[in-house]
Amino acid sequence: MFHTLKLLLPALIPSWRFFDEIGPSPRIEFALLAKQDDEPAAWAEFRPRPTHISVKTMLRRMVWNPRWNETLFMVSCAERLMDKPTQHSDSEIFDRICAELSRAGEGAAAFLVFRLVYISRNGTVLEKEITYISRPRPRSEPRAGAAQ
Amino acid sequence: MSLDQAMRLTEIMLALAFLQQSVEHLIAGRREIMLFAPRMALCVLLLIGVQAPLVCLGLSALALAILKRFNGPYNGGSDRMSLLILFSLTLAEFMPNQRLQEYVFGYLALQLVLSYFISGYVKVVNPQWRSGRALQDVFEFSAYPVSEGLRQWAKHPRILWAASWGVISFELVFPLTIFSQPGLIIGLIVAGSFHFSNACFFGLNRFFWIWLCAYPSILWLQDRAFVFA
Repeated sequence: MFHTLKLLLPALIPSWRFFDEIGPSPRIEFALLAKQDDEPAAWAEFRPRPTHISVKTMLRRMVWNPRWNETLFMVSCAERLMDKPTQHSDSEIFDRICAELSRAGEGAAAFLVFRLVYISRNGTVLEKEITYISRPRPRSEPRAGAAQ
Repeated sequence: MSLDQAMRLTEIMLALAFLQQSVEHLIAGRREIMLFAPRMALCVLLLIGVQAPLVCLGLSALALAILKRFNGPYNGGSDRMSLLILFSLTLAEFMPNQRLQEYVFGYLALQLVLSYFISGYVKVVNPQWRSGRALQDVFEFSAYPVSEGLRQWAKHPRILWAASWGVISFELVFPLTIFSQPGLIIGLIVAGSFHFSNACFFGLNRFFWIWLCAYPSILWLQDRAFVFA
């Protein structure tokens, strides 16, 4: 209960420091493995952005935008993993990738691993850095409580 | 606008905003549905005005459970504003007299003003924002632009410099709008348009709806404090 109240406090006494700094930005990538000890051969970006979004889609998303909001939550989890790693954040990302793959019918590989790639500016150049690699886990592993 | 009217309007708008948020969770797993389906039922009660204090209390309890479930806010600042409005409203409902209700509801209005002013202040003291570089970075590599096409805006530094200063100026000036009713209404229309563009470009649809929910509080406060008959 004390932990929950600690989470509530910043909402009741907010700092309102929106976008005060534009720091390194995480991307989530995943790889499917046949066996747990396989080396990931090909990393794929999770939910890459479309090239273009129509005005109609933008307007529809004003009232129905679950996938994007879930993606933003996963970005928060990625940031939490870098700030203060917890099993909760790792599991949320893992489970939501699993759920997305199941929806898309990606059923062959038994194991999943994900990593966080941070993009940041160094002068005029954008740099990428891999900051976190999850433990490869069976896609059927019992979940810690995220998306199903 | 009287306090009762402002609180009732906030209840209605909050119920609608929570319904919009909650329905997005119905496609998730069973554990999310178990939290958000009851929230939708309470929102319907709040919308039609049945036992508002108790319904607000129920929504507050659920909000804590949701906060625990996601180990923090699910949707960052919009969830924080949701909690602020909900808890202010709930506390105001249970205050023993109107004066205390006004203090609590006034706190919400004050926070709304600060949400713009502090956001403007932290930008104006940052050289990256003053030069337009920060907004360029938002478009170029942040996680927010909803399409790759939007990233092309990073190649237009002059436009982004002007946009940065437009946002900063508006946010810093916003507190002054409270001294005039037409000024406040114009300020809220500009603010709403700003949230709408953020929703279109960065997918922050929940910010748009939830910030609107706090507007009755500032309209009431303006009426209460600065309109003299």
